[in-house]
Amino acid sequence: MKNDKKRNKTRKKGPDILYSAASLIFLVLTLGPFIWAFIISVTPEYEMFTNTLNMLPKEFTLGNYEELLNMESQYSLRFSEGMINSLKAVALTLLIGQPVAVLTAYALSSMKFKGRAFIRYGLLITMVIPVFATIIPLFRIFSEHRLLDKSFWLSLVYVSSFLPMNTWLMSNYFASIPKELSEAARVDGCGYMGCFFKVILPISYPIIAASALIMFLSSWGQYQIPLILASSAATKPVSIVTSEFMTKDTIFYGVTAAGGLLAVIPPALMALLFRKYLITGMTQGSVKA
Amino acid sequence: MLRQPFLLYNTYVENTSSEEGAVKKLYNKILPYMLLLPMLILMIALVYYPIAVTFSYSLKKMKLTRPNDVEFIGLKNYIEILKSEDFLYSLQNTLFLLIFVVILTTVFGFALALILNREHKLSGLFLAIAILPWAMPPIVNGIIWKFIFFPGYGFINKLFIALGLTEKPIDWLSDRSLLLMVVSVVTAWRSAPFCGIVCLAGLKTIPKELYEAAAIDGSGTFSSFRHITLPLSLPFIGIGMTSASVTAVNIFDEIVSLSGFSDTGKNLLIQNYLTTFSFLDFGRGSALTYIIMILTSGIGVLYLRSLNKEVSYQ
Repeated sequence: MKNDKKRNKTRKKGPDILYSAASLIFLVLTLGPFIWAFIISVTPEYEMFTNTLNMLPKEFTLGNYEELLNMESQYSLRFSEGMINSLKAVALTLLIGQPVAVLTAYALSSMKFKGRAFIRYGLLITMVIPVFATIIPLFRIFSEHRLLDKSFWLSLVYVSSFLPMNTWLMSNYFASIPKELSEAARVDGCGYMGCFFKVILPISYPIIAASALIMFLSSWGQYQIPLILASSAATKPVSIVTSEFMTKDTIFYGVTAAGGLLAVIPPALMALLFRKYLITGMTQGSVKA
Repeated sequence: MLRQPFLLYNTYVENTSSEEGAVKKLYNKILPYMLLLPMLILMIALVYYPIAVTFSYSLKKMKLTRPNDVEFIGLKNYIEILKSEDFLYSLQNTLFLLIFVVILTTVFGFALALILNREHKLSGLFLAIAILPWAMPPIVNGIIWKFIFFPGYGFINKLFIALGLTEKPIDWLSDRSLLLMVVSVVTAWRSAPFCGIVCLAGLKTIPKELYEAAAIDGSGTFSSFRHITLPLSLPFIGIGMTSASVTAVNIFDEIVSLSGFSDTGKNLLIQNYLTTFSFLDFGRGSALTYIIMILTSGIGVLYLRSLNKEVSYQ
């Protein structure tokens, strides 16, 4: 064993340099845009995009962040409202979407019934259907019934678009759980649902966390759907608010960059917290049971 | 898939009294449908029904600006779209984006997976960094990259001038093919992490023994990569590729933030948005949606197949 390791080490020297180089490129390409946006966000407006080759500004300012966070300026009011709207929509989407996805995935992965394949295909195929196929009539229906600009209805539309992906992930995972586990529970007199709550659900937390994360990221990033269904100040998410800094107003790049970076914090935080479940959840879902 | 538990469950049912068994059997039969009910209600109300309605719109002359002037016109909307310059132009843009985004996402994604697959002190940190772009809302992604490709003295122009690659700043966002290249890179940057995670999950399922056996046989790193890593991760690369193509066809936010709703960079989706929600021509917008659906149905079939391939792995 020890010998093996030694041999591996000597053999891997060449690729090690390659690996370090690849890692460096990866770090620069991934972090670069964030760093550049940060530099823009602390650059005074008069120095922005001036005819200079200096990468860093001569003076730094935190004015743009103050503008967004001091709770008095017009920017900060709109920005904080956008953040709250986004959080609200994400929370509703998760609260409604996760239970529905769990039940659907369990039925599709562990039960045999008529029409199972049909329902499964019918659900999965919606992943590739363009948003407009549903949003055009939904816009009309929503406006007729005064459902536009309501976080709840917006979230329901989110759920309907993310449900297939989450169901797919979860049902792969459920299907990979060793059968002996549920069999043992059944012998003990557990019904399907009892078995589900007592055996399957408790050991499925990695995939539930992973798919919750994916649902969080997808709903936080939405722009197109709320642009059409929820574009009033009371419901529009932070993604729309940030983009308006750039398009609607006289353009203040610093504020836009600062807003963009602040808007990434909640999803980035979630991604960092739940990242290990992403790997465990998705790996087990693809391993043979 | 899971036939075993059913057999066992049936024996359990047989042991109970027959009447109770019948009730249990009925319960068993309807239980899956009860579990699926919330999903079915949601999907029927918000997806399947609207899709059908969109089709009926597509056969009508229907402008929101003229609410009383609605009539059935058959395939006229479709024919007019297929004849229009706008359609051809935005179709070309969509195809361009499809090809470049899929290539870039798959290459970056798989490279990412290879980097993340090696365990070392920093691998936790690497994973954390790798998924950051995924957390980026696409519209913000476009905005942040706009600072990099800014037509005047943005980062890339400063870099290129400093390196002597160009004398004058390049106008990245006005020229059609440059703009589409930029959109492809920016979108691939955001979609590579998902592809990477899927490929990483695939790499982790390759048994270590295979590499050990290959090493004993005197196989080098590159040869094990070619004969073990690559072929065994192909199904996962397939999932990554197809999901990248779905992303590519649906690019909207990045184009909006990089070039607004300008004509230069518009793809089918932007064209669809403009037709439907700017010109409020719901009939024509719906027809365009159906044309897009037909054009992308090939990707849909591939996608379903790749998703099922993985499931049949079980």
